[in-house]
Amino acid sequence: MKTVLDRAAVAAEVSGHEVGAAIRLCGVTKRYGDLTAVDDLNLEIATGSTVALLGPNGAGKSTTVGMLMGLVRPDAGETLVGGRAPRAAVSSGGIAAMLQDCGLMPGVTIGELIELGRRSYPRPLPAGEALELAGLSGLAKRRVDRLSGGQVQRAKFALVAVANPEVMLLDEPTRALDVQGRREFWTAMRAYAATGRTVVFATHYLDEVEENADRVVMMARGRIVADGTPAAIRAKSGGATVRFRLPLTQAAANDPLPQLAAVRGVVSIDGEWVNVLTPDSDAVVRTLTHSDLPWQDLSVLPPSLDDSFLQLTGE
Amino acid sequence: MTRYYFRLECLRMLRDPRYLALAVIAPIGFYLLFATLFGGKQPASGQLPGTIEIMVAMAAYGAMWGALSATGPRIAHERGSGWLEQLRAMPLTGRQVLAAKLAAGMAVALPALVLVCATGAAVKGVRLDAAQWLALIGAIWLGSLPFALMGIAIGYAVGSETAFPLCYAVYMAMSAMGGLWVPPSQLPSSFQHVADALPSYRLADLGWQIAGGHTPTAADVVVLAAWALGFGALATLAYMRPRRTQKSTTSAGAVSKTSPAVSASA
Repeated sequence: MKTVLDRAAVAAEVSGHEVGAAIRLCGVTKRYGDLTAVDDLNLEIATGSTVALLGPNGAGKSTTVGMLMGLVRPDAGETLVGGRAPRAAVSSGGIAAMLQDCGLMPGVTIGELIELGRRSYPRPLPAGEALELAGLSGLAKRRVDRLSGGQVQRAKFALVAVANPEVMLLDEPTRALDVQGRREFWTAMRAYAATGRTVVFATHYLDEVEENADRVVMMARGRIVADGTPAAIRAKSGGATVRFRLPLTQAAANDPLPQLAAVRGVVSIDGEWVNVLTPDSDAVVRTLTHSDLPWQDLSVLPPSLDDSFLQLTGE
Repeated sequence: MTRYYFRLECLRMLRDPRYLALAVIAPIGFYLLFATLFGGKQPASGQLPGTIEIMVAMAAYGAMWGALSATGPRIAHERGSGWLEQLRAMPLTGRQVLAAKLAAGMAVALPALVLVCATGAAVKGVRLDAAQWLALIGAIWLGSLPFALMGIAIGYAVGSETAFPLCYAVYMAMSAMGGLWVPPSQLPSSFQHVADALPSYRLADLGWQIAGGHTPTAADVVVLAAWALGFGALATLAYMRPRRTQKSTTSAGAVSKTSPAVSASA
C-alpha cells in the first residue's frame, strides 16, 4: 500500500503536475441519493495559500471538507492531500480539520485536550505553543465545559494547530460567534497561516473572506461558480457606485445629465440623489470634477462582495 | 495515544459528581441501609448472612451502573455534540476509540464495586479469605462486561435525549427483577425464571457463589457470556450504522445541550 502511494507521488513529480499543490481534487463527485452534494469538482490549492470556500448552505463545502479528511468517500474522482490519499495524510499529520459544529471532549481541561492532540500526531507543536497561537495561554487548567463561545472555538483551533499540519481545514469556524470572538479567532488563524502553511476555511461570512483569504472559491449546488482573489470576485458584480446629491430644480433632475453622457455607466436618479453604477468609477469622478454640475456629498461605494455572492450563487 | 485517551475517559468520569453519586455513593448508602435493616437475622443453613448477600448485590448494582453510565449516555452525547466526528478526523481509528470507551467503562466499574466490598469489610464486619475477595471482585468486575457493551449499543443507537433515561430504566428494571433489591429466593416463582435469564442476577450470583465457598455455576457464566455476545453484536451493528443521519443528530444534540434532562446524563 505504502509503495503504491510512494510511486504515485513520484509519478506526480515526474509528470510535473503541480508538485506544489497542497490539495488536488480531480473530477470529484459525491451523491446522497438523488442529491448531488459535490458535482465533478476540480480544484487545486497551492501550498502556503489561504483560501476561502464560500457558499450558501448546501453548496457542498462540508462534503468537500469531509472528502479531504477521508470521512466521506467520493463516488467518483480523485482526492489528494500533499500528493497522498486523505486518510494517509490525516494519520501522518499532513492535514487536520476543525469540523463544522464539532464538539469538544466534555469533562477534561483544555490542557488535557491539547495533550491528546499532541500525542495523536507524529510531528506536533509543543502544547504550549498551540495554546499561545490560539490565545489560550493561562487557560490550560480550565475545563472545556466552562469556556465562552469564543474560547471554545479557539480551543478547537488549538486542537488542530497542535497537529502542526501542512494543510489546515476550518469548516465555518466562527459560526455563532460575536464580533469580538470572530476577531480573536481570525487573529489566531492568520498567525498560523503566516508560518507558510496552507489554510482552507469554509464560511458564509463575506467580510471574513475579504480580510483573511488571498483566494476565494465560491461554490453553489456542488460546483465552483467563481474562483479568484476577493477583489476579482467583487468586480464581477459589475462595478462601483458613484453617488452624489444634485440640489437642482425638478426640471434639471429630469434632465438625463448630458455631462455624464461620455462615461460608461447606468445613471439612476432618486429625488436629489444620483447613483451611477459604473465599471470605471475614477472616470466618473474625473468627469464630475471637470463639469459645471453643482454636485455635493460625493461618495464612491466599492463593488460589494455580497452583490457578487448573490449574483454568482443565484440565491 | 490510545492510552492517553483512555486515561482521559476515566478521569472525566471520576470527576463527574453524577458518577460518584449514582455508581459509588448510592450502592454504599443502600448497602449500609439494607444491611442494618435486614443483615442482623441469623441465616438459614446454606444461606449467606445478610451483610454478605446484600454486599454482593450492591457491589453488582454499583458495577452495573459504572459500566453502563460511562458508555451509553456519554457516547450518545458525544455523537450529538460532534466530538466523535471530530475524533474521526484525527489519527485515532474508530476501533481505538471504541476499545478505549469499553476499557473505560470497565475501569470505572471497579471502584464502584470495590468500595462496597470495602464498606462491608470495614463497617459490617464481613470476613472472607483473601482468595475469596479477589475472586469475588474479579468475577463481578469481568461480569460487568455485558453492561459496558449494552451501553455502547445504546449510545450508538439512540440520541442524547433518550440515552440516559433508557440506560437508567434498563438498569433499574434489571436490578429489581434480577434480585438485587429483594433476594431472588423471595420472588414469586415466575419472576425467578425471569431472573435466571438476566445478566444482573447472574452477575450477583457469581459473587454469592464465591462468597458461599462455591465456584460460580456454568449457568452464570453461560448467561453472562450470551448477554455479552448479544450486546456486542448490537453494539457492532449500531456502530456500523451508516453516518448519513449524522447531520440530523447533530442538530438534535445542539438543542439538547440546554435541556435539563441531558445535563443530568452528561
